[in-house]
Amino acid sequence: MIKRLLIIVVIILLIVIFLPFMKNVILKDSLNELSSGYVEKSVSDLKTANIVTAVVVTFRGLDTLGEVTVLFIATAGVGLLLKRKKGEKSKKSDKRPASEILQTGASFLFPLTILFGVYIFLHGHLTPGGGFQGGVIIASAFLLLLLSNINFQFNHTVLHWVESLSGAFYVLLGLLGLILLGSFLNPKFLPLGTLGTLFSAGAVPLIYSFIGLKVGSELSNILDSMRGAEE
Amino acid sequence: MRYTLILGFILFMIGLWAMLTRKNLFKIVIGFSIIDTGVHLIIVTIGYLSGKTAPILDKLVTPANAVQKVVDPIPSALVLTAIVIGLAVTALMLSYVVRLYKRRKSLSIEDYRELKW
Amino acid sequence: MVNPIMIFILFLGTAFLFALFDKIHRKFSFAILQLVLLINTFIAGQWLYKFVFTSQTPVMIFTAGFKPPFSINLRMGLEEAFILFAVNFVGLLSALYLSKSFKHSKVYPLVLYLMMIMGVNGIVMTRDLFNLFVFLEISSISTYALIALKENEQRLASGFKYMIASGLASVFFLLGTIFIYHITGTLNIDQIITHKSFVITSLGFLSVFTLMMSLIIELKPFPANGWALDVYQTTTSGVVSIIAVANSAGVFYAFYKLLPLIPHNQLLFIAGIGIVSFLFSNLIAIKQTDSRRLLGYSSIAQIGLLITVTALTRYLHVKSSTSLFIISSIFLSNFIAKAGLFWIAGIIKKTHIKEWAILRFKPGLLIIFGVFIFALVGIPPFPNFWAKWDLIRFLALSKLHIWIILILLGSLLEAFYLFRWFGSIVRSEQNEEQLLQPAYKTVPIIIFFLLLIIISIGIPIHIYQFDILPLLPIVGLLILSIFDFLPSKLKAIISMIIIAGYTLYIYPVLSGVSLVFAFIFLAGSFIQLIATMSRKGTDKGFFPLLVGMILSMGSLLVARSSLEFFFAWELMTITAYMLVLRGRKAEKPALLFILFSLAGAYLLLSGLSYAHVINFSLVGLGTIPISAHMLPITAFILIVVAFLIKVGAVGFHIWLPGSYAEAEDDTTSFMSSILSKTGIFGMLILLLFLLKMNMHHSALFTSMLGWIGIFTVFFGSLMAIFQEDVKYLLAYSSMGQLGYIVLCMAAMSHLGWVSGLYLAVNHLFFKAMILLAVAGVISRVGTRNMYEMGGLIKKMPYSFISVLIGIIALSGVPPLSGFGAKWLIYTALLEKGWYFRAGLSFFASAIAFLYLFRLIHTIFLGQPKPQHQNVKEASPFFLIPQFLFIFAIMAISMFPNLIIKPLSTFINPYFASTIQWQGNTLYSSLGYWNGNLVMYVTMGVFMLLLIWLIISIGRVQKVKQFNIVFAAERPFKPTTTHFAHNFYAHYKRALGTFVRPVTTGFWNGVGEWISSAAGSIRQIYSGNGQTYVLYILLYFIVLYFIMGGK
Repeated sequence: MIKRLLIIVVIILLIVIFLPFMKNVILKDSLNELSSGYVEKSVSDLKTANIVTAVVVTFRGLDTLGEVTVLFIATAGVGLLLKRKKGEKSKKSDKRPASEILQTGASFLFPLTILFGVYIFLHGHLTPGGGFQGGVIIASAFLLLLLSNINFQFNHTVLHWVESLSGAFYVLLGLLGLILLGSFLNPKFLPLGTLGTLFSAGAVPLIYSFIGLKVGSELSNILDSMRGAEE
Repeated sequence: MRYTLILGFILFMIGLWAMLTRKNLFKIVIGFSIIDTGVHLIIVTIGYLSGKTAPILDKLVTPANAVQKVVDPIPSALVLTAIVIGLAVTALMLSYVVRLYKRRKSLSIEDYRELKW
Repeated sequence: MVNPIMIFILFLGTAFLFALFDKIHRKFSFAILQLVLLINTFIAGQWLYKFVFTSQTPVMIFTAGFKPPFSINLRMGLEEAFILFAVNFVGLLSALYLSKSFKHSKVYPLVLYLMMIMGVNGIVMTRDLFNLFVFLEISSISTYALIALKENEQRLASGFKYMIASGLASVFFLLGTIFIYHITGTLNIDQIITHKSFVITSLGFLSVFTLMMSLIIELKPFPANGWALDVYQTTTSGVVSIIAVANSAGVFYAFYKLLPLIPHNQLLFIAGIGIVSFLFSNLIAIKQTDSRRLLGYSSIAQIGLLITVTALTRYLHVKSSTSLFIISSIFLSNFIAKAGLFWIAGIIKKTHIKEWAILRFKPGLLIIFGVFIFALVGIPPFPNFWAKWDLIRFLALSKLHIWIILILLGSLLEAFYLFRWFGSIVRSEQNEEQLLQPAYKTVPIIIFFLLLIIISIGIPIHIYQFDILPLLPIVGLLILSIFDFLPSKLKAIISMIIIAGYTLYIYPVLSGVSLVFAFIFLAGSFIQLIATMSRKGTDKGFFPLLVGMILSMGSLLVARSSLEFFFAWELMTITAYMLVLRGRKAEKPALLFILFSLAGAYLLLSGLSYAHVINFSLVGLGTIPISAHMLPITAFILIVVAFLIKVGAVGFHIWLPGSYAEAEDDTTSFMSSILSKTGIFGMLILLLFLLKMNMHHSALFTSMLGWIGIFTVFFGSLMAIFQEDVKYLLAYSSMGQLGYIVLCMAAMSHLGWVSGLYLAVNHLFFKAMILLAVAGVISRVGTRNMYEMGGLIKKMPYSFISVLIGIIALSGVPPLSGFGAKWLIYTALLEKGWYFRAGLSFFASAIAFLYLFRLIHTIFLGQPKPQHQNVKEASPFFLIPQFLFIFAIMAISMFPNLIIKPLSTFINPYFASTIQWQGNTLYSSLGYWNGNLVMYVTMGVFMLLLIWLIISIGRVQKVKQFNIVFAAERPFKPTTTHFAHNFYAHYKRALGTFVRPVTTGFWNGVGEWISSAAGSIRQIYSGNGQTYVLYILLYFIVLYFIMGGK
C-alpha cells in the first residue's frame, strides 16, 4: 500500500517535472533552418520527391543503416532465445487445420500482399512508405501463411540468402558512394534522373529495395523464431 | 497540437503506471510499449506545423513552394528509426518473458528476485 | 591511414553475411570474427599512434556527401582512437576467451557479439545526437541478447531487469533529444554545444537534464543500479568482461562528449553523483561475498570515480592534456584490471570469494590476480597511482577539501575489500583442487597483464621523466623474481650483492643525516640478510619482495621530489605488506597493516598536495629557498600523522603488534629494526622543513609531538610487559623505543637530535639482535609463548648471550650503549626543560626493564621443558648477524665518539652544538659521559660479583629438574599455572587500567559501524525489477530538484 502511494507520488512529481515539456514548447509555424535546408537540398541536389525518404536514406543514412542493424540484432537475439536447435523437431501439432475459407483467402492474398510490399519500397522515394514499411507488409504476407497453414515451413536457405545478401548489398552501395564520391552512403553515384519518376534520386530506390528485402526477411525470421517457441 | 503533446505524456504516464504496478511480465512489457508509443507521438508532434502537409512533392507541393507548404521532415525520419528500435526491444523483451515462463512457469515479477544485495 | 568509416563497413559487411559464412564452417566464421576485430584494432591503433607520436590533428568524417548539420559526421581524435583501440582490443581478446562457447552455440551469439562491439565504436565516433541514440541502442540490444548466452534462469531474470531499466533510460534519451532538436533546430552535437546558452531556460534545462540522466543511469549510479549488479553477477565471464569495460567505456564516452552541455555551476552536482556512487558501492562491497557481484560493485565504483573526476577537472578548467591523462589512467586501470578479473572469474568458476583460495596453488595466476588488484587500488607503478597523485594535487590547489576526503575514503574502502580478498586467498587453508586453465582463456589474461606492466613502466618514464634511480626497487624486485628458482642461500647472496651495489651507486648522493639512515636501511639490511640464509628450499617470493622493500627504503633517501618520495613510500608499503602476509597466521594483521599504511599514505599524499613545495625530500630540501609558507598547517598536520602511523604512535598503533608478531620471524626483525625507522626519516625531513620556514606555532607542534612520543613510550612499554607471546612483547617494545626517538626529535635541539639518531642506530643493533636470537629460539622450540620455553641457557648459549647483551643495551643500564642513549635523552629533555616528560621516560625505562627481565628469565633461565630435551643451538645463519651486532654495540659502547661525533657534525648545520668532546669524554651542559670509564667501572663491579658467585657456588645443592611435587593437587591446565604465565599479574592489577584496549576498542567500533552501515544500505537492492525502475524514477526526480530544476 505504501509502495502504491509512493508510485502515485512519483508519477505526480514526474508530471510536474515534465510540465515545461508540455507548457513551454513554443509551437512554430515555419520550418527551421535545417529542415528548410533539407527540403531544398532534397529537391535540388537529390531529386527525391519524398523528403522524408531523402532524410532517412541519404542525409541521415547512417541512422538508417543502424536501424537495419538494430532489427538484425533483434532477429539474432530472438533467434538465440527462441529458435529450436537443429534436430529438435517440433512436436506434431495437435491444432486443428484452418478452415478452407481462411486457407484459400490467404493463398489468394499472399501474392497480392507481396506485390503491394514491393510496390511500397520501390516507390519509397516518391510516395509515403519505403523499405521498412514495404518489408513489414511482406512479412505480414508470411504471417498470413503462418496463421492459415499450420504445417507451413519457411525455406530457411532462401531466407538466409535473401537476408544476408540484401544487407551486404546495402553496405556495398554505401561503400560505392565512398569509393566513387568520397563519402559513405552517398547515393549520387547513380544518375539522379528527373524528380518524381521511378528512376530518380540516384541509388535511393535501390537502397530502399534492399532495405525492404532485408526487413521483410528479418521480420519473417522473427516470426519463425517466435512460432518455434510455442508448443 | 498542444493536445497531442499532452496526450503523448499521458500515454507515457499510463505506461509507467503499468510498468510500476503490474506484476505480470507481459503487462510490464506492454507498459514499456505504451511509454514508447507516447514518446513517438511526442516526436511526431514536435515536427508538426499547423496547416501544413506531408513533406512529399506532388501536384500541390511543388519544388518552388515546398518550404512553405510542408511539415518538418526530420522528426518523421527520426520517429521511423525510433519505432523500429522500439519494436526490436519489445521483441526481445517478449522473448525473454517466453523463456522465463518456460523455465519457471511463472509470469510474476515477484518470483524472480533471488538476486539481490 | 584508413578511413575510420571502414570500421563500420567491416563490421556490418561481415555481420550481414555471417549466416552464409557459418554455412561453410563454424571455424571459418569464427576466424572472420577474429579477423574483423583484429583489423579494427589495427585501424584504431594506427590512428592512436598518429595522435600520440605525430602532430596529427583530429579529423571529421562526413557521410552522404553533405556537410553537417545536414548529414551525420564522425570524429576521430586522440580520445576516440584511444577508446576504440581499447574496446576493439578487448573485444578481440574476449572473443578468444569465448571461443569454446562460440563453437558450441548457434550462430547468433557471434553476430550479436560483433554488433555489440560495433555499437560501442559508433557511440564513440558519432557527432550526431540521434545517431548516438541509435548506436547506444545497438550496443544495448545486443547486450540484452548476449546476457542469455548459456541461458539459465538467473541470467534470464537479470537480463529482463536490465532491459526494463535500460529501456526506460533510452526513452529518456529520446525525449531529451527531440526537445533539444526543437529548441536548437539541430542534432549535431558540436552545434548544440555552441548554442548551449539555451540551457538556462526551464525547457532547455529539462531537456538537457533528461538526456544526461539517461546516460548517467546507463552508467549505473548508486542507488539506481540494482539491475546492473545482477547482470554482473550472473552473465558468463567472457560477455560480462565486455559489458563491464567496453560498454561502460562507450557510455562513459558519450557522457564525456555531452558534458559540455552541463552549465558550469551544475558540474559539482554531476561530480556528486559520481562520488556517491564511488563511496557507497565501495561501502556495500564490504559485505559482499559473491565474487562477481563484488567485482560489479567495484566496477560501478570506478565508473563513479570517473564521472567525478571528469566533472571536477572540467569544473576546475584543468589543462586538457592533464585532465585527459588523469581520466585515461583511471579508465585504463579499471579497464584492464576489471576485464582481467572477470576473465579469471571464468577460470575459477566459483562464486564465493573464499572459494577463490584455489588460486593459491596457481602461482602464475595468483600473481596476475594480485597485480590486477594492486592496479585497481592504485599501488605504484600502476596507472591509477599517477592519476591519484595528479588528481589530489589539483583538488588541493583548488581547495576542494571535501572531495579529497571523499575520494580517498572511497579508495580506502575499496582497498579494504580487495586486500581482504587477496589476503584470504593467500592465507587460506583450503586444499588443492583441479583447475582447468585452457590456453584460450589464459592467453587473454596474460596479454592484458603484460599490457598493464608495459603501460605502468611507460608512464613514469615518458610522462614524469623518471630516470632509473627511483625505479631501481622495481628493477631489483624483477631481477630477484627472475632468479626465484634458485635456492634461498644463493638468493640471499644475490640480494646482498644487489644491496651492496645499490649502496655504492647512491653513495655519492648521500651526506649528513641521510648517511645515518642509509646505514640503518642498507647496512642493517645487508647484515640481517645473512639470517635469511637459514631459509630452506627455494622459498619462492620472499627475496624479490625483501629486496624491493629494502631498495624502496633506499629510494626514500635519494628521492629528489615529493613524487619520488611518495612513489618510494608506497612501494615500500606494498612490499612490506606482502612480506607480512607470508606469515602463517598473518591474514588479519596484514590487512590491518595495509589499511593503516594506505591511510597513512593517503594522508601523506594529501599533505604533499597541500604543500607549496614539490621537493619534499631530503635531497630536495637543499635546493629550495627558505620561505615561511612552504608547508601550510594542514599539510604539516597531515604529513606528521602519516609518519606517526608508520612509527606506530599511540592511537595509531593497533596495526603494529600483530603485523610485527605474525610476520615470519626474520621478517619481523627487518620490520621492527629497520622499516619502522622510515617514519622517523620522514619526520626528520618534515622537521627540517619546519626549521627552515620558521612556522608560526611551531613550538606548540613540536611540544605536542613530544607528548605523543612520550605516551607512545609509556604505553608501548606498559603493554609489552603483559604479553605472553615473545614476538608481541618485542613488537610493543619496538613501539616504545620508537616513541623515544620521536620524543628526542621533537625536542628540536642539537642534543635531542643527536640522541634520537643515536637511539635509532642503537635500536637497529639491539632489536635486530634480540629478534634474530628469538627467531633462532622459535625455530628450535616451535612456540612463541614464553611460558612454554624455559631453561634454554644451556641448550642455546650463544642466543642467550646475544639476548643478554641486547637487553642490557636496550634497558639503558651501564655499561652498554643503551646507557649512553638514555643519558643523552635525559640530558636533552632536561636541557629543553621538559622535566615531566623526562620523568615519564625515566619511569618508562623502569617498565622496559620489567619486560626485558621477563624475556631473559622465562626463556633462558628456570626449568627446561621436557619436550625441549633435544633442542640444539640456533642455526649459525642466525648467530652470525647477532654477533656482528654485538661487536657493533661493544664498539660504540666503548668508544661513543665513533658514532656521536659524526652524528653531531651531521646535526651541526641545523642546530648550534651544545656538546663538546675531550678524548672519549662527552661533555654536555649537564654533565659528562665517558664510555670507557663507564665500561671499566661496570666491568669491575661485575667481575667482583662474579668472583663472589664462583666462590659461593660450592655451597649450592643441585636439584634434578623433575624433583618437584604439585602439592597433591593436579593443575587443570599445567601450562597456565606455570609461573611464567601471566608473569606480571600483580602489576596488571595495579596498572591494568592503562592497558585496557581503548584504542583497539575504538578502531573495532569504527569497523563494526562501517560494516553494519554497509549491511543496512545494501538492503535497498531488493531483487525486484519493478522496485529498481522505481528507484530510477526517484533518482531522476530527486536529482532534478537538487539541481534546481524549475
